[in-house]
Amino acid sequence: MRALVIDDSRAMRRIVGTILTGFGYEVREAGDGRLALDVLEEGYVPDLCCIDWNMPVMDGLQFVMAVRANPAYRQVTLMMVTTESETGQIVKALAAGAHEYLIKPFTADALRDKLALLGLLPEEVSA
Amino acid sequence: MTLQEAQPITTLLDTRTVQSIADEVWPSLVGDGEAFVPVPVPPPGDVVSAWVDIIGPWTGSVVVTCAPATAEALTESVLMTRPPTVVDAEDVADALGELANVLGGNIKSVLPGESRLGLPQMGVAPPHGRLDDVRSLVGQWRGNFLTITVQGAAPAPHAERDEVPL
Ligand SMILES: [Mg+2]
Repeated sequence: MRALVIDDSRAMRRIVGTILTGFGYEVREAGDGRLALDVLEEGYVPDLCCIDWNMPVMDGLQFVMAVRANPAYRQVTLMMVTTESETGQIVKALAAGAHEYLIKPFTADALRDKLALLGLLPEEVSA
Repeated sequence: MTLQEAQPITTLLDTRTVQSIADEVWPSLVGDGEAFVPVPVPPPGDVVSAWVDIIGPWTGSVVVTCAPATAEALTESVLMTRPPTVVDAEDVADALGELANVLGGNIKSVLPGESRLGLPQMGVAPPHGRLDDVRSLVGQWRGNFLTITVQGAAPAPHAERDEVPL
Protein backbone atom coordinates (compact mmCIF):
# COMPACT_ATOMS: atom_id res chain seq x y z
CA MET A 1 0.00 0.00 0.00
CA ARG A 2 1.08 3.52 -0.73
CA ALA A 3 0.87 6.61 1.45
CA LEU A 4 1.60 10.30 1.03
CA VAL A 5 2.47 12.16 4.25
CA ILE A 6 1.80 15.90 3.99
CA ASP A 7 3.10 18.14 6.77
CA ASP A 8 5.24 21.28 6.88
CA SER A 9 7.24 19.77 9.75
CA ARG A 10 9.95 17.40 8.58
CA ALA A 11 10.07 15.89 12.06
CA MET A 12 6.36 15.10 11.92
CA ARG A 13 6.64 13.69 8.38
CA ARG A 14 9.39 11.42 9.63
CA ILE A 15 7.36 10.27 12.65
CA VAL A 16 4.23 9.48 10.61
CA GLY A 17 6.30 8.02 7.76
CA THR A 18 8.25 5.73 10.09
CA ILE A 19 5.06 4.35 11.63
CA LEU A 20 3.50 3.75 8.21
CA THR A 21 6.68 2.12 6.89
CA GLY A 22 6.50 -0.19 9.90
CA PHE A 23 3.01 -1.17 8.79
CA GLY A 24 4.39 -2.11 5.38
CA TYR A 25 3.50 1.09 3.51
CA GLU A 26 5.53 2.63 0.73
CA VAL A 27 5.73 6.29 1.83
CA ARG A 28 6.31 9.59 0.06
CA GLU A 29 6.33 13.02 1.68
CA ALA A 30 5.30 16.55 0.79
CA GLY A 31 5.85 19.78 2.74
CA ASP A 32 2.57 21.50 1.84
CA GLY A 33 -0.69 20.92 -0.04
CA ARG A 34 0.59 22.33 -3.33
CA LEU A 35 3.65 20.05 -3.33
CA ALA A 36 1.35 17.14 -2.48
CA LEU A 37 -0.86 17.90 -5.49
CA ASP A 38 2.32 17.90 -7.60
CA VAL A 39 3.09 14.38 -6.35
CA LEU A 40 -0.43 13.21 -7.30
CA GLU A 41 -0.17 14.87 -10.71
CA GLU A 42 3.15 13.07 -11.30
CA GLY A 43 1.16 9.86 -11.09
CA TYR A 44 1.86 8.74 -7.52
CA VAL A 45 -1.75 8.16 -6.48
CA PRO A 46 -1.61 6.69 -2.96
CA ASP A 47 -4.14 4.64 -1.02
CA LEU A 48 -3.81 7.04 1.89
CA CYS A 49 -2.94 10.69 2.44
CA CYS A 50 -2.06 11.82 5.99
CA ILE A 51 -2.68 15.56 5.95
CA ASP A 52 -1.59 18.27 8.34
CA TRP A 53 -3.94 21.28 8.57
CA ASN A 54 -1.66 24.28 9.20
CA MET A 55 0.87 24.57 6.39
CA PRO A 56 2.19 27.43 4.25
CA VAL A 57 1.23 27.86 0.55
CA MET A 58 -1.73 25.44 0.60
CA ASP A 59 -3.19 24.20 3.86
CA GLY A 60 -4.66 20.79 4.54
CA LEU A 61 -8.28 21.82 4.14
CA GLN A 62 -7.60 23.37 0.73
CA PHE A 63 -5.75 20.21 -0.28
CA VAL A 64 -8.70 18.02 0.72
CA MET A 65 -11.05 20.19 -1.35
CA ALA A 66 -8.70 20.09 -4.36
CA VAL A 67 -8.39 16.30 -4.20
CA ARG A 68 -12.14 15.82 -3.79
CA ALA A 69 -12.78 18.06 -6.80
CA ASN A 70 -10.84 15.65 -9.03
CA PRO A 71 -12.64 12.36 -9.84
CA ALA A 72 -9.29 10.77 -10.78
CA TYR A 73 -8.43 10.73 -7.06
CA ARG A 74 -11.72 9.22 -5.90
CA GLN A 75 -10.02 6.14 -4.45
CA VAL A 76 -7.61 8.08 -2.26
CA THR A 77 -8.44 7.94 1.45
CA LEU A 78 -7.84 11.26 3.19
CA MET A 79 -6.94 11.40 6.87
CA MET A 80 -6.27 14.67 8.66
CA VAL A 81 -3.39 14.42 11.14
CA THR A 82 -3.43 17.72 12.93
CA THR A 83 -3.30 19.63 16.15
CA GLU A 84 -6.62 21.34 15.20
CA SER A 85 -8.87 19.52 17.63
CA GLU A 86 -12.06 21.57 18.00
CA THR A 87 -15.28 19.85 16.92
CA GLY A 88 -15.98 22.67 14.46
CA GLN A 89 -12.69 22.03 12.66
CA ILE A 90 -13.28 18.27 12.54
CA VAL A 91 -16.75 18.81 11.08
CA LYS A 92 -15.32 21.24 8.51
CA ALA A 93 -12.67 18.75 7.37
CA LEU A 94 -15.09 15.83 7.16
CA ALA A 95 -17.60 17.98 5.26
CA ALA A 96 -14.85 18.89 2.77
CA GLY A 97 -14.25 15.19 2.12
CA ALA A 98 -11.75 13.91 4.67
CA HIS A 99 -12.51 10.34 5.81
CA GLU A 100 -10.79 10.31 9.18
CA TYR A 101 -9.27 12.65 11.70
CA LEU A 102 -6.32 12.00 14.00
CA ILE A 103 -5.37 14.63 16.54
CA LYS A 104 -1.74 15.44 17.40
CA PRO A 105 -0.25 14.30 19.69
CA PHE A 106 -1.04 10.70 18.79
CA THR A 107 0.49 7.30 19.44
CA ALA A 108 1.41 4.64 16.87
CA ASP A 109 -1.46 2.58 18.27
CA ALA A 110 -3.92 5.39 17.64
CA LEU A 111 -2.77 5.63 14.02
CA ARG A 112 -3.03 1.85 13.69
CA ASP A 113 -6.62 1.94 15.05
CA LYS A 114 -7.63 4.61 12.52
CA LEU A 115 -6.12 2.59 9.66
CA ALA A 116 -7.92 -0.55 10.86
CA LEU A 117 -11.17 1.43 10.91
CA LEU A 118 -10.54 2.51 7.32
CA GLY A 119 -9.64 -1.02 6.21
CA LEU A 120 -6.16 0.21 5.36
CA LEU A 121 -4.14 -1.92 7.73
CA PRO A 122 -2.31 -4.78 5.97
CA GLU A 123 -3.53 -8.15 7.31
CA GLU A 124 -0.14 -9.20 8.68
CA VAL A 125 -0.14 -6.07 10.86
CA SER A 126 -3.71 -6.37 12.15
CA ALA A 127 -3.21 -10.06 12.98
CA MET B 1 -24.21 43.11 20.77
CA THR B 2 -21.97 42.91 23.78
CA LEU B 3 -18.62 44.53 24.19
CA GLN B 4 -16.74 42.17 26.43
CA GLU B 5 -13.52 42.95 28.18
CA ALA B 6 -11.03 40.31 27.03
CA GLN B 7 -10.24 37.86 29.79
CA PRO B 8 -6.62 37.36 30.83
CA ILE B 9 -4.98 34.02 30.09
CA THR B 10 -4.69 33.30 33.83
CA THR B 11 -8.51 33.20 33.96
CA LEU B 12 -8.83 31.12 30.79
CA LEU B 13 -6.10 28.54 31.39
CA ASP B 14 -4.70 26.89 34.52
CA THR B 15 -1.26 25.35 34.87
CA ARG B 16 -2.72 21.89 35.38
CA THR B 17 -4.27 21.98 31.90
CA VAL B 18 -0.97 23.05 30.33
CA GLN B 19 0.85 20.29 32.21
CA SER B 20 -1.66 17.64 31.11
CA ILE B 21 -1.22 18.74 27.49
CA ALA B 22 2.57 18.56 27.90
CA ASP B 23 2.17 15.08 29.44
CA GLU B 24 0.57 13.89 26.20
CA VAL B 25 2.84 15.77 23.83
CA TRP B 26 6.23 14.73 25.23
CA PRO B 27 5.99 10.92 24.86
CA SER B 28 4.30 11.24 21.47
CA LEU B 29 6.64 13.78 19.93
CA VAL B 30 9.87 13.83 21.95
CA GLY B 31 9.99 10.09 22.56
CA ASP B 32 8.91 7.15 24.71
CA GLY B 33 9.38 7.82 28.40
CA GLU B 34 10.17 11.51 27.85
CA ALA B 35 8.47 14.15 30.01
CA PHE B 36 8.31 17.83 30.75
CA VAL B 37 8.87 18.06 34.50
CA PRO B 38 7.40 21.16 36.17
CA VAL B 39 10.26 21.55 38.61
CA PRO B 40 12.16 24.78 37.96
CA VAL B 41 15.92 24.80 37.43
CA PRO B 42 18.05 27.97 37.06
CA PRO B 43 17.66 29.61 33.61
CA PRO B 44 20.61 29.47 31.21
CA GLY B 45 22.36 32.64 30.04
CA ASP B 46 21.32 32.12 26.47
CA VAL B 47 17.90 30.98 25.25
CA VAL B 48 16.02 30.21 22.04
CA SER B 49 12.26 30.06 21.60
CA ALA B 50 9.79 28.62 19.15
CA TRP B 51 6.20 29.80 19.17
CA VAL B 52 2.86 29.75 17.41
CA ASP B 53 0.34 32.57 17.54
CA ILE B 54 -3.26 32.07 18.56
CA ILE B 55 -5.59 34.65 17.00
CA GLY B 56 -9.11 34.81 18.37
CA PRO B 57 -11.10 36.09 21.36
CA TRP B 58 -7.78 35.73 23.20
CA THR B 59 -4.76 36.61 21.06
CA GLY B 60 -1.18 35.76 21.88
CA SER B 61 1.49 33.10 21.54
CA VAL B 62 2.37 29.70 22.92
CA VAL B 63 6.12 29.76 23.42
CA VAL B 64 8.65 27.03 24.17
CA THR B 65 11.92 28.39 25.53
CA CYS B 66 15.16 26.59 26.41
CA ALA B 67 18.93 26.79 25.99
CA PRO B 68 20.25 26.29 22.44
CA ALA B 69 21.93 23.05 23.55
CA THR B 70 18.64 21.79 24.97
CA ALA B 71 16.86 22.63 21.70
CA GLU B 72 19.48 20.57 19.88
CA ALA B 73 19.09 17.64 22.28
CA LEU B 74 15.30 17.85 21.94
CA THR B 75 15.66 17.70 18.17
CA GLU B 76 17.96 14.67 18.40
CA SER B 77 15.38 13.02 20.62
CA VAL B 78 12.50 13.81 18.25
CA LEU B 79 14.50 12.39 15.33
CA MET B 80 16.39 9.72 17.32
CA THR B 81 15.44 6.47 15.67
CA ARG B 82 15.24 8.22 12.36
CA PRO B 83 18.36 9.39 10.54
CA PRO B 84 20.02 11.82 9.80
CA THR B 85 21.66 11.68 13.20
CA VAL B 86 23.47 15.00 12.78
CA VAL B 87 20.96 17.82 13.32
CA ASP B 88 21.37 21.25 11.73
CA ALA B 89 19.79 24.62 12.55
CA GLU B 90 16.87 23.91 10.23
CA ASP B 91 16.15 20.62 12.00
CA VAL B 92 16.17 22.42 15.36
CA ALA B 93 13.79 25.15 14.15
CA ASP B 94 11.54 22.48 12.67
CA ALA B 95 11.44 20.19 15.72
CA LEU B 96 11.10 22.96 18.32
CA GLY B 97 8.53 24.66 16.06
CA GLU B 98 6.44 21.52 15.78
CA LEU B 99 6.60 21.09 19.56
CA ALA B 100 5.21 24.64 19.91
CA ASN B 101 2.63 23.89 17.20
CA VAL B 102 1.25 20.76 18.89
CA LEU B 103 1.23 22.42 22.32
CA GLY B 104 -0.36 25.53 20.79
CA GLY B 105 -3.11 23.67 18.96
CA ASN B 106 -4.12 21.80 22.08
CA ILE B 107 -4.06 24.95 24.19
CA LYS B 108 -6.13 26.75 21.54
CA SER B 109 -8.78 24.03 21.80
CA VAL B 110 -9.37 24.70 25.50
CA LEU B 111 -9.73 28.48 25.04
CA PRO B 112 -13.25 29.86 24.54
CA GLY B 113 -14.53 30.80 21.10
CA GLU B 114 -13.12 30.18 17.66
CA SER B 115 -9.44 30.89 17.10
CA ARG B 116 -6.87 30.50 14.39
CA LEU B 117 -3.37 29.06 14.77
CA GLY B 118 -0.36 30.65 13.08
CA LEU B 119 2.66 28.84 11.64
CA PRO B 120 5.64 28.14 13.93
CA GLN B 121 8.26 30.87 14.33
CA MET B 122 11.67 30.84 15.93
CA GLY B 123 13.71 33.50 17.72
CA VAL B 124 14.61 34.72 21.18
CA ALA B 125 11.00 35.62 22.07
CA PRO B 126 7.80 36.75 20.32
CA PRO B 127 8.20 40.44 19.39
CA HIS B 128 4.91 41.68 20.87
CA GLY B 129 4.60 39.76 24.10
CA ARG B 130 2.67 41.32 26.97
CA LEU B 131 4.09 41.04 30.44
CA ASP B 132 0.71 41.31 32.21
CA ASP B 133 -1.09 38.49 30.40
CA VAL B 134 1.04 35.40 30.95
CA ARG B 135 0.50 31.81 32.02
CA SER B 136 3.93 30.25 32.34
CA LEU B 137 5.05 26.77 33.25
CA VAL B 138 8.68 26.78 34.27
CA GLY B 139 10.29 23.38 34.39
CA GLN B 140 12.82 21.07 32.84
CA TRP B 141 13.41 18.33 30.36
CA ARG B 142 16.15 15.82 31.26
CA GLY B 143 17.27 18.28 33.94
CA ASN B 144 17.59 21.19 31.51
CA PHE B 145 15.68 24.47 31.83
CA LEU B 146 12.57 24.62 29.66
CA THR B 147 9.46 26.79 29.84
CA ILE B 148 6.07 26.69 28.20
CA THR B 149 4.67 30.22 28.16
CA VAL B 150 1.24 31.32 27.00
CA GLN B 151 1.56 35.05 26.51
CA GLY B 152 -0.89 37.70 25.35
CA ALA B 153 0.04 39.92 22.40
CA ALA B 154 0.35 43.69 22.75
CA PRO B 155 -1.51 45.83 21.91
CA ALA B 156 -4.60 43.76 22.61
CA PRO B 157 -6.31 43.49 19.21
CA HIS B 158 -9.32 41.66 20.65
CA ALA B 159 -10.92 44.37 22.79
CA GLU B 160 -13.63 45.21 20.28
CA ARG B 161 -14.65 41.70 19.31
CA ASP B 162 -18.31 40.99 19.61
CA GLU B 163 -18.93 37.81 17.65
CA VAL B 164 -20.74 35.04 19.43
CA PRO B 165 -19.14 31.69 18.64
CA LEU B 166 -21.66 29.21 17.26
MG1 LIG C 1 1.87 22.22 10.39
